[in-house]
Amino acid sequence: MKLNKLYTFIMLAVIGFAAQAQSDNISPKRKQAIDSLALEKVKDLSKYISLIGDKKTPYSEATRVMDRAEELFAPDSEMGVSSLTSEEINYYKVRDYFNRLMALNYDKVTIKWYDIHYISDLEQQPDGKFVGVITIYQRFEGKSEDGLSYKDTTKKDITIYVEKKQTQIAGRTIEFWDVLLGDIRVAETTI
Amino acid sequence: MIRFSILFLGLVALQVSLLGQGNLLDDMAGHEDKLRADTKQVNQFFRRFNGEEDREGNRLYEDNRQYRSRKLRQGYLPYLFDLQSSISSNLKKEFIDEMTDRKSPAFLNFHENGWFAEVATDFVYKGKKSRLILFMELQPQGQGYEWVIADVLFDPFKKSFSKDTTSSKPFIHPMSHELDFMNLRKAFQGNNNPESYTKDSFEPDYVSLFLYELKNTNLKFQTVTNVKFHFFSPEGWYFELAKYNRPGMNSGWLITNLVRVDANQEKQLKAFIYDK
Repeated sequence: MKLNKLYTFIMLAVIGFAAQAQSDNISPKRKQAIDSLALEKVKDLSKYISLIGDKKTPYSEATRVMDRAEELFAPDSEMGVSSLTSEEINYYKVRDYFNRLMALNYDKVTIKWYDIHYISDLEQQPDGKFVGVITIYQRFEGKSEDGLSYKDTTKKDITIYVEKKQTQIAGRTIEFWDVLLGDIRVAETTI
Repeated sequence: MIRFSILFLGLVALQVSLLGQGNLLDDMAGHEDKLRADTKQVNQFFRRFNGEEDREGNRLYEDNRQYRSRKLRQGYLPYLFDLQSSISSNLKKEFIDEMTDRKSPAFLNFHENGWFAEVATDFVYKGKKSRLILFMELQPQGQGYEWVIADVLFDPFKKSFSKDTTSSKPFIHPMSHELDFMNLRKAFQGNNNPESYTKDSFEPDYVSLFLYELKNTNLKFQTVTNVKFHFFSPEGWYFELAKYNRPGMNSGWLITNLVRVDANQEKQLKAFIYDK
């Protein structure tokens, strides 16, 4: 996890250096670098979700993971969840969603991620920030002691916000692109 | 002995756990082709329609030889239709031929007018759960773009404004001004159709009504229940884009209706969609 963070920081700084004195337009090359960073954050989130859902994760550790996971998100981010049986979207704050995941009433929970993702274009918002959506798929299996199991596949459309920021390093202003996760639409998927 | 038993039990547990995981992973391997084929975002529909994504799902940029290639698009476009819809093969072929014409191919542009969203929502209106449709469009704003509410479709609003245009409709007589319009009292008292007293050109503005009711907390948002898109682009065509969550490769965002339209038909079709 720490390695990822270090990698992210280095990549951000490299990109930031290259970004100096350039316009807000994102070139294909930079877009690809930002995609990698965003995907890195999404992978972090995936790992955190697997840990939070895992019944073997001690409560204190799960709480710490939830704190880390929350740091990936922009303030007020929400999860909009729907199932195959209901067209209605239920809304949860990110922390509430994690708490619900941790409290699921199964004896064993396995969460795996498909090696498939889709990263949208980045569109500029009125405030100048860029916004995109990364789609990933999760396979969930919950088993109870009596042998009953529940499986589902969910599609997660994850908002990413990309913003050009500045920092001072050795008296020099360096611009870099920061990536934060936003609202997530979680929909059960037929496979 | 005890130590051996614990080790044995541990190995059995590990094996069971791995077996369980194996099943899950096997399940998943069987699903990957379907998920790859799924048109996962509207953004991906645009890319596939325009030939900006290769067959492996990689983004193509302008400097790539395959970018917007005719061959790639001819391969992709037939699979962007809902294959269970009633769109005829001939019409699909005409559409694909026009979109991929050698001399003047047609593409979709995210930022151009010509497409809009129809968002079905549930609100609580005066204490009762009610379906309300929001028509949303993209507009340039500030440094970028935003989705905005272009129109609203809501039965209680629509039913409130059925203007009588016959000669027997209530009216305020043409000499009322001489009486300081004192007859307005009679006109408004117990009259359920005050729109009778409006200009011929009167059209209710449902967006304003929606905002007014929202601000007065008579309308309370509950949830989004469905989203689809109407495309009047490329020119001369209308198609509807809907999301299909179903087994098989023909899923995700797909073209579900296709009609050739001239300018007049476009106007009529829009009036039909907006229920005007």
